[in-house]
Amino acid sequence: MPVYSVSRRRAIALLALSSILLITLDLQGNSVVHGLRNIFSTIFEPVQSSTRVITRPLENAWRGITHYGELETENERLQDQLDQQEGAFIAALATVRDAQELLALNGIDNLADISSVTAQVVGATPSNYSQTIEINQGSDRGLRVGMPVVNAAGLVGRITWVDNNRSLVLLSNDSLYAIPVQVVNQPDMVPATTTTTTTTTTTSTTTTTSTSTTTTSPTTTLAPVAPLVTAVVDPNALTTTSTTIDFSGVDFGALAPTTTGVIVTIAPGTTAAGPTTTINLDDLPVAETGIFRGRGIDNAPVVEFIDQNSRFGEVQVGALVITSGGSQSLAPRGIVVGRVIKIVERTGTSGAVLEVRLTAKLTALNFVRVLLYQPVATGTP
Amino acid sequence: MIDFVNRPLVRLLLVGLPALALQTTFFAEVKIFGVVLQIMLALSIAAGLAGGSENGALAGFVFGLMFDLVVTSPLGLSALVFGAAGWGAGYLHSRAIENPKWLNAVALGLVSGLATFVMPVVANWIGVEGWLSSRLTKVIIVVAISNALFSFIAVPIARWSLAVRRNQRLAPPAEVFL
Repeated sequence: MPVYSVSRRRAIALLALSSILLITLDLQGNSVVHGLRNIFSTIFEPVQSSTRVITRPLENAWRGITHYGELETENERLQDQLDQQEGAFIAALATVRDAQELLALNGIDNLADISSVTAQVVGATPSNYSQTIEINQGSDRGLRVGMPVVNAAGLVGRITWVDNNRSLVLLSNDSLYAIPVQVVNQPDMVPATTTTTTTTTTTSTTTTTSTSTTTTSPTTTLAPVAPLVTAVVDPNALTTTSTTIDFSGVDFGALAPTTTGVIVTIAPGTTAAGPTTTINLDDLPVAETGIFRGRGIDNAPVVEFIDQNSRFGEVQVGALVITSGGSQSLAPRGIVVGRVIKIVERTGTSGAVLEVRLTAKLTALNFVRVLLYQPVATGTP
Repeated sequence: MIDFVNRPLVRLLLVGLPALALQTTFFAEVKIFGVVLQIMLALSIAAGLAGGSENGALAGFVFGLMFDLVVTSPLGLSALVFGAAGWGAGYLHSRAIENPKWLNAVALGLVSGLATFVMPVVANWIGVEGWLSSRLTKVIIVVAISNALFSFIAVPIARWSLAVRRNQRLAPPAEVFL
């Protein structure tokens, strides 16, 4: 049985106590810890950069060996997806432009107003527990801790540490990540009471689309909807439909400020009489607020602490999750986070939990955009 | 200058910096079954096997602290766990009369697996949630096996970084003489 001298025990106890002291200081947000990280980063950065240059070919070779088949399949799948998206993208652009104009008219901030810096992902997390990436832009380009990071698909994470020319991004699926969000049911998910009447005409050859919108209160916003529709129809046996929405008897003042809705009327050229679709305004897209929280690499992130006063029961699987913004939030309103994939009911007053599938694919990030946004409480956007 | 380089702490830093650079670049990208290999942990345990429990604790603390400084986890968490792992490996080493390479590999693998499990437990204890998950089993197995294989390189490196001489290495552990 080995015997330990008092001095050896003291040395080991000192190391353990030092570790505990450092953990305590870090968890309390002590500036000494931040300073230590910065000093070490300055020393370590040249070593890391040199190593990266040396090991890059080896990494590429490894990826080539282990992921070649996967990459080929994914490339084909993405090519198909790209073709499908091309048409929808053009229509979406027009819709987004309209939405931005309306937001500007109402004095509401939107993402297009916020400056951003594009950065390349240069490193992955060296740990099996935390989910971070390293990007090649830092405080020299105006990046600050807390700024949201996005890509074309949606929210990626937030800046958690900044150096002069590099930063660490805490990914949105990390268990330390949390942000206030809104859950919005999509217009196409709204159940409607429909009465359909079909008529036949003999002259029309194409259907045309027109869009009308309604604003029910000063803070009501409009959500992007389906792209323009153009269809060729057979003049000999043409069957057309018309959709109108009956607003009679609706109390517009009673609508929630966050209610979002767009009314689309598809009106064929010559239609004697069309079907009537009546949408119950209670079923129009609903925005619920809650807290989005990551749960690690193998668990779907969740939205919890759903506002108990809101109409939670109407949130459906497939509903869109977007950042809610606000004076305290680290992200502006409107960044797409993901879609609800599961609603887990809980007993008691804790409320339900929504499991979310992120729109951004966090395992294959290459370029990201850092929004130079800081909440009103800490700085000027 | 030579005396300065021969100091164990300086040698630990000389080994630790490139090892950390490899950990954050090459090993962060090259994953086995989606698991990041942990060479800093392997070196900490190897230091315990090469130089005894006290040296293992010191090396684990230094390597763990360096690792903490580049990740987002609380500073000191890896230092505590790696230090304990180095100490534990040194203790295991002191219990054996002989330490052939295969035994070092087994010890390094076992202690690596244990440390990989302890890390999220301690993290959970200090309030960092989400690290304990079903994926942990896979992480433990991959890290334990890879580190066991890595022991054939890690133990000689640790021996050099702690300036353990051949006669010291072949002698029984220092603890038995105290």
